[in-house]
Amino acid sequence: MRFVLRRLGFYLLAFWVSITLNFLLPRFMPGDPVSRMFAQSQSRMTPEQITQLQQLFGLDDRPVWRQYVDYLGNIATGQMGISISHFPTPVTEVIAGQIGWTLLLGGTALLVAVVVGNLLGILAAWRRGGMLDSVFPPVLVFVGSFPYFWLAMGALYFFGVMLGWFPLRHAFTAGSAPQWSGQFVADVGMHLVLPALTIVVVSIGGWMLAMRNTMIATNAEDYIVMAEAKGLRPTRIMFRYAARNAMLPAVTSFGMSLGFVVGGALLTEVVFAYPGVGYQLLAAVQGLDYPLMQGIFLTITAAVLFVNFLVDLVYVRLDPRVRVS
Amino acid sequence: MSVTDSTTATLAATEGPGGRPATAALRPKAASRPPRRGLVRSLLRNRKAMLGASLLVVFVALALLAPVLAPGDPTLITSGGSQPPSSAHLWGTTAKGQDVLALTLWGARSSLFVGFLVGVAATIVGVTVGLAAGYFGRLTDDVLSLATNVFLLMPGLPLLVILAAFLPPGTGTVIVVLVITGWAGAARVLRSMALSIRAKDFVAAATVTGERAGWIMFREILPNMASIVMSTFLGCVIFGIGSQAGLEFLGLGDVSVVSWGTNLYWASNDGALMVGAWWAFLPSGLCIALVAFALALLNYAVDEVTNPRLRAPRRTRGDRRSVGAGTAVAANVTSEETIDPSATPVLEVRDLTVEYRGENRTVIGADRISFTIGEGEVFGLAGESGCGKSTVANTIMRLLREPAVIAGGSVRFCGRDVLAMPDEELRAYRWRDVAMVFQSAMSSLNPVMTVGDQIVDIYTTHLRLSRREARRRAGDLLELVKIDRSRLRSYPHQLSGGMRQRVVIAMAVALRPRLLIMDEPTTALDVVVQQEIMAQIADLRRELGFAVLFITHDMSLMIELSDRMGVMYGGRLVEQAPAAQVLADPQHPYTRALMNAFPPLTGPRTELTGLAEGVRFTDIDNLVEVAPGHWVAPVAAGSAAPTSEESSA
Repeated sequence: MRFVLRRLGFYLLAFWVSITLNFLLPRFMPGDPVSRMFAQSQSRMTPEQITQLQQLFGLDDRPVWRQYVDYLGNIATGQMGISISHFPTPVTEVIAGQIGWTLLLGGTALLVAVVVGNLLGILAAWRRGGMLDSVFPPVLVFVGSFPYFWLAMGALYFFGVMLGWFPLRHAFTAGSAPQWSGQFVADVGMHLVLPALTIVVVSIGGWMLAMRNTMIATNAEDYIVMAEAKGLRPTRIMFRYAARNAMLPAVTSFGMSLGFVVGGALLTEVVFAYPGVGYQLLAAVQGLDYPLMQGIFLTITAAVLFVNFLVDLVYVRLDPRVRVS
Repeated sequence: MSVTDSTTATLAATEGPGGRPATAALRPKAASRPPRRGLVRSLLRNRKAMLGASLLVVFVALALLAPVLAPGDPTLITSGGSQPPSSAHLWGTTAKGQDVLALTLWGARSSLFVGFLVGVAATIVGVTVGLAAGYFGRLTDDVLSLATNVFLLMPGLPLLVILAAFLPPGTGTVIVVLVITGWAGAARVLRSMALSIRAKDFVAAATVTGERAGWIMFREILPNMASIVMSTFLGCVIFGIGSQAGLEFLGLGDVSVVSWGTNLYWASNDGALMVGAWWAFLPSGLCIALVAFALALLNYAVDEVTNPRLRAPRRTRGDRRSVGAGTAVAANVTSEETIDPSATPVLEVRDLTVEYRGENRTVIGADRISFTIGEGEVFGLAGESGCGKSTVANTIMRLLREPAVIAGGSVRFCGRDVLAMPDEELRAYRWRDVAMVFQSAMSSLNPVMTVGDQIVDIYTTHLRLSRREARRRAGDLLELVKIDRSRLRSYPHQLSGGMRQRVVIAMAVALRPRLLIMDEPTTALDVVVQQEIMAQIADLRRELGFAVLFITHDMSLMIELSDRMGVMYGGRLVEQAPAAQVLADPQHPYTRALMNAFPPLTGPRTELTGLAEGVRFTDIDNLVEVAPGHWVAPVAAGSAAPTSEESSA
């Protein structure tokens, strides 16, 4: 319990750091980017909206500490201002409309990569010198060396443009309305294959290698020798004794690599024009839509921290030694 | 990220408790100060490292030679847009008519420059923070670790995008932003490494002699982290090159600079792929991948060199062995002799030879060892650390792993050839016929399974009992060693050392084996608990009547418990006799030295006389019977004269 509370405190602290970063960036960056944004879009806004945005970015004459307190209050109540590129939709609404697609893409890709990668790692370590152990790691390291977006573009060109197997862009066929019908779900599935697959292909090697190396270390442990001496079946030793222990570092690195996967998903979304927050983030940057940019960054950070917290809860379940101390 | 992860995993591997008991004993004692120089030389011999390094050299050379190979401005716009590869433009042209080959060559300059600069800067920041946190500890560590962990958790690319959006565009911005987001991974790995080195003796020595903190950190600790710093640096360069390309692809860098990232940005912007101009798109991405691959290869090689366990095992006679498949048995091991069934002992070991075949040399772990253990008999095996006792024990259960190879001899259990057993028979033989109590009860139990589940495993596997019945039997078993059955639900870490050892002993007798091997079963326990455990084993033996192979270096304990005993030295048996006879009349000088190591508490005081410094016996002959049942290796002046360590090593 104390472990969980300590971790919770840590994540709150991390979130506070990112909020503060968000607060400081527009105020102390050279070149005054926010004024440029106002100059571009002032004509479309009502005076109230202008005042609100000015407050959000510190373009009024309140003292900085006062601005900071107000800013924290705004974030706490979910007020992130109005999106300029989607004027006059509030930032929160824009994000809410798109985060689902990112979760679908990132979640699917992550799940497949983690499960398949770790399984491959377990098997490779178990049969040292076998096919899996000698051929897969170098090949996956090579594939993993390619930039996400480059592989994504390659896949788009090859499977989309040349072969025409998969749709080229977006999360569902333009014109069809999101609904719970078999046809629509299949359509979404077809749009998901290429983006998810590129993320899986690039990230799977890291999972496999990390798991393989941990398994190799675990296989030298005394309790594995003992399990062997007990005459247990090899699969039982492999999963219940070796992999079950080797999994612990993998669970920790799962949380750590989440931010990385989000980054990969962002690039993939851009290539496939997939309507998630990553795609939207880039659009916001290009449209000088600072409120939306910051809102998306905070949302992504909060999501990553939250999943990390969930991972910690799982870790407590998996490692009895943490549960007690 | 993934690269740093694999490094951490490797670290865990090197830090983990030593390998198998058998090999651990043979491994040379770790020097207090790890060797520094071998890294570069080992890398030079590593195929992966050489491939990676040559690839890198080629790319650096191409980048440096770009003005010579492709003179003039590569961004010059011409009218011949989107031309496929031809003799005029070997790699074709972009939509703006720029030469793709020239763009790729020039692009290498910016990409490699930024990548290596980011690598250097992020590593320096990471090393400084990691060293400071690891060295100063306490508050410094708390603050720095907190900062590191917060930065590690921040989603990198979104943070990059935000920072790049607010900062004025340019190469400088890209570098700064990448260092800000990239240092934390380096700091985390280096901190844990610094922590472990800080605990070493030579650092303490430097502290005691009054060296300054800076000196200790950079002259004592840092050089010992060379391999980790190197793989961190490589990881940071990979991160730098990849992230720069990503940022520039999104149009967040300076798009007027020629780099692989901006080449791809323009290719995408011009819709190169949509018009089928793959040549504008292919080269830059391939270059990024090849450079990253070269760096990853180097990194992988560093891992392999520092952690030999990761190296692919050499294949002996083309067989692949997985853990649990038993020890490799050299092909020439056969035993055709027939056994007289009436006088079959429980265990018969004959001329057993085990070799540890390393890359450079072969060490003999057990050398032509022969002994038998009769029904219900306690046979002791004594000798100093590294003499091969555990090797013999592990061979009997066929638990030895690479690089150990059984080079000759036979092991028979009740007349059955153990070394020839197929996998399934071996599995049934283990634990049901012969069980073992390991040296380290502390670590013989799976830390993430309850004690109960680990006992239940035995019953469900060997007797195919239902889980309920198995649990009931497991409870009985715990009570047999006087532990409350409610402890079935405990995890190993919740038990005391003595309790854990009792659990392990209970597990060993779960299937009432005919032979129990006990490999220094009480070494890690204090004397009082030792006594309790030994008494308990004696009780169990009276009740269940199993034979025992008892291994220890504690001669007094051994003589007290064993019926017969053997003394091992350097892989050879030097004496074998009934325990009482060894006590009364030890014949071999080494046996006498071992006995003297434990002076009696009563009687006149005598001076301890061990073997003289550096004395070793070599070329130990086969045993000769000097009295009924008392066998001793002859100590002739010529063959077994004490020789100095140097000449035999």
